[in-house]
Amino acid sequence: MAAVQGGLVESVDKKDIKTEPSEDGGGNNNNANDGKKLSPSPGAGAPAEGNNTTAGAPGDKSTLLAVLQFLKKNKLTESVDILRREAGLPEDSPDSTGGDSSGEAPGDAARNAGAGGADASSLLGRVAVSSSAVAPVPKAPSEDQPDVNVVLSAYSQQGDPPLYKVYYSGLKKFIESVLDCHRAELSQVFYPLFVHMYLELVYNGHENEAKAFFDKFSGDQECYYGGDLHVLSSLTKKEHMRGNETLLDFRTSKFVLRISRDSYQLLKRHLQERQNNQIWNIIQEHLYIDIFDGMPRSKSQIDAMSGSLAGEGKRDANKAKVYYGLLKEPEIELPLDDEDEEAENEEGKPKKKKPKKDNMGSKSKKQDPNAPAQTRIPLPELKDSDKLDKIMYMKEATKRIRLAPDNLPSICFYTFLNAYQGLTAVDFTDDSSLIAGGFADSTVRVWSVTPKKLRKVKSAADLNLIDKESDDVLERIMDEKTASESKILFGHSGPVYGISFSPDRNYLLSSSEDGTIRLWSLQTFTCLVGYKGHNYPVWDTQFSPHGYYFVSGGHDRVARLWATDHYQPLRMFSGHLADVTCTHFHPNSNYVATGSSDRTIRLWDVLSGSCVRIFTGHKGPIHALAFSPNGKFLASGATDGRVLLWDIGHGLMFGELKGHTDTIYTLKFSRDGEILASGSMDNTVRLWDAMKAFDDLETDDFTAATGHVHLQENSQELLLGTYTSKSTTVIHIHFTRRNLLLAAGAYNP
Amino acid sequence: MSAPKTIPKDAQVMIQILKDMGITEYEPRVINQMLEFTYRYVTTIIEDAKIYATHAKKSTVDADDIKLAIQCRMDQSFTSPPPRDFLLEVARQKNQTPLPLIKPYTGPRLPPDRYCLTAPNYKLKSVQRKVMSSSSRISVPRLSVGAVSSRPSTPTLGTPLVQSVTTKVGTPVSLTGQRFTVQIPPPPQAAAVAKTITPSTPAVSNVLINPSLIGSKNILITTNMVSQNSAGESLKRKHEDDEDYDAL
Repeated sequence: MAAVQGGLVESVDKKDIKTEPSEDGGGNNNNANDGKKLSPSPGAGAPAEGNNTTAGAPGDKSTLLAVLQFLKKNKLTESVDILRREAGLPEDSPDSTGGDSSGEAPGDAARNAGAGGADASSLLGRVAVSSSAVAPVPKAPSEDQPDVNVVLSAYSQQGDPPLYKVYYSGLKKFIESVLDCHRAELSQVFYPLFVHMYLELVYNGHENEAKAFFDKFSGDQECYYGGDLHVLSSLTKKEHMRGNETLLDFRTSKFVLRISRDSYQLLKRHLQERQNNQIWNIIQEHLYIDIFDGMPRSKSQIDAMSGSLAGEGKRDANKAKVYYGLLKEPEIELPLDDEDEEAENEEGKPKKKKPKKDNMGSKSKKQDPNAPAQTRIPLPELKDSDKLDKIMYMKEATKRIRLAPDNLPSICFYTFLNAYQGLTAVDFTDDSSLIAGGFADSTVRVWSVTPKKLRKVKSAADLNLIDKESDDVLERIMDEKTASESKILFGHSGPVYGISFSPDRNYLLSSSEDGTIRLWSLQTFTCLVGYKGHNYPVWDTQFSPHGYYFVSGGHDRVARLWATDHYQPLRMFSGHLADVTCTHFHPNSNYVATGSSDRTIRLWDVLSGSCVRIFTGHKGPIHALAFSPNGKFLASGATDGRVLLWDIGHGLMFGELKGHTDTIYTLKFSRDGEILASGSMDNTVRLWDAMKAFDDLETDDFTAATGHVHLQENSQELLLGTYTSKSTTVIHIHFTRRNLLLAAGAYNP
Repeated sequence: MSAPKTIPKDAQVMIQILKDMGITEYEPRVINQMLEFTYRYVTTIIEDAKIYATHAKKSTVDADDIKLAIQCRMDQSFTSPPPRDFLLEVARQKNQTPLPLIKPYTGPRLPPDRYCLTAPNYKLKSVQRKVMSSSSRISVPRLSVGAVSSRPSTPTLGTPLVQSVTTKVGTPVSLTGQRFTVQIPPPPQAAAVAKTITPSTPAVSNVLINPSLIGSKNILITTNMVSQNSAGESLKRKHEDDEDYDAL
């Protein structure tokens, strides 16, 4: 069997390889109908495989064509001609363009083959060998075909199908026999290995063996992979694998495992000394083993971090510097409040206006080293109305209740009645004066929570008649006749899944299943813009805390950053393996956190669009994200009912809050960050002591370097209260400026 | 209505499928919906396959036709999002451009008008203007109807005025323009002309002056060519004219 060598190959070698298959006539005991491709077997030096099944005619042709492509790519035209003449191939021109998707995987320590190996496998893939080996003309790839083929080709036959079970059981026995301290780490290998071996069997058409393999070993996998295993169980044919983007991504991306050096040596030694090292090949091709020096991790530590679709985050992925500090608040003069200070001002005396120092801003004039520069990303300047808002905010802040474990907030619950399970999104304005609800019937409704009714601007004819010079012109432009408690906004053509008010209360954003995001004006209650870009349902959208920018994430696995005055996105955050279900801005607007169905959370830099942090550990799709008000920590909630706390600076998980029994849909920190409130599908709102959780954070260098997590089992101590509603799922939670807790949900009996 | 004692076989199969996929909680209607979808999907595929088979001049439908039908239907209805490397490439390109600076002191920050939904999406239909009998009338299609007084209307954001407008074919009139109706005393020559034609009928003509120069502004000048003895009638006539709308 010819093994395509990695790295730079000279034409001489090519000739050798070429002559081998043409001599290798018959020995073809496995003449499967769908084209078997020769395995690239990177790293396996001598073709020491136990069988020569793939040396049949179709396989030869495909190798030849692949070699031809490789030569063409490297512009070895003479060799191309010679090869073609000698192999007797017709003068066709296979398409040699196309992206090399498997080449994007970075070279890593565990792989012995260089990028050349990846090229070869992708070239093989591009040559689609049909079952009838008549026409060796490769299918001209259409736009998304080459990627499918490239990806699907990554599963070449590694060995005899019935032997897969034997290999796997062999590995299982070995791992069970190692020392306890290593066993937990090496057990991480089981799941990705199982999935890849199963998919290989399916891809190469061994349906029965695949089913048997699955039945035998699926039960051994960890329970938190149950969802994935269900999906896998429905895949029994190669055709099923097409069109499942998540699966394709899983196969092209490398599953990351973090194993200590000692355990890794053990595994390597064991696998290399065996005769048929199929497993070693699979590991090299599909797994990325991030080796660290130090103590092997315990099972609980591993369980805490694993669960995502792509393994864990690499250590390097979490090393970039993140500016998690807050931006400096602008200095605003706070005029004396005349009503409060009446006694002091006597008639005739000039009123002294003492500019109060901005008590939200940093006390020191020095720049916080962890804060981004003010001009790192362009932010809109403050208008007068914004300054007035800020003054209001500061006034309210002085009246804020200090929350503590012994001083819990009161909770006011807004229940949506008669929503018939159609309520899909809720948002409050920052000053808690308006509620917006997105519904499955594609409407968006806005309610006024205060006694002040919702008014829209008068029509142009009426605007003509008002006196423009009067002081209260801003009141006069509002139409009293159509004032109402609630307004309905029509425009979307699918359920509205995400909703977000702008900080200045002028705009409302809504994202829907129809793939668009709509900007509504809250002055006229009409739709202003429809942002098209996602062609698939948009699951979540959020305005930035400074206005002007907003982020959206949807089914197409990317999150996009938009500005209200650009009809196309400014940044695309791509990297997730499955839908982006939740998007959230950092308080300083420089970073965006996205949670996804692939059970990871990624933190993206707005300036460069790159991913600066990957947080793994959830065992289900993430539905809730919340940044602490000081910007240092991130809390996340998922369908597994756990709230995880992450330290952004170090990129580590430091807290786990267990208590909810069902999906957590909403998380919010109180205004000063002392309390974390979570709302869930189990109809409860729970309050957690965030201050204590942050204090417990250990940040010794050792932890940071190796990434070991030490989670304490103190969820019970941190839980301050559980408040149950009457069969009302809690969809949204909001702390008012005075630290009153508002919650919203739809009643479904 | 009493439920049937035994569930039909199809429904039982569907229940089993749901169980195998790990779905344990679902409303009873889900089974009906799934069965409906299955029936519709399978019928569509088989019909498509029949078409492909007849196209290939085969007498029976075989597996290849079905495969082709499935593939085509998948590409058409059940599209999947773009593949990862494509997205990464697009993202890389998009993320290279620096973030645009924000212009200060602008009003609402919205994309250019053609990408917004703020334009009016309707136009008022006009009533056919009655042809006046007098030939003396210089009947140039008027572009504005309404108050003859020179009260400018404020520019509106997308909502056209009620007393509005009829556009001449070929000269689109922006509805957010200002309309002035100005009366100027008739020049002596015009009066002379009017006199020569028919002194008795008042001649009110409205002449549109150079719309192209003005752009969105439509200046309507009502020249009141009144002969001395028909001043009263002219006023009346003018009023009547004002009620007419020009035909397109």
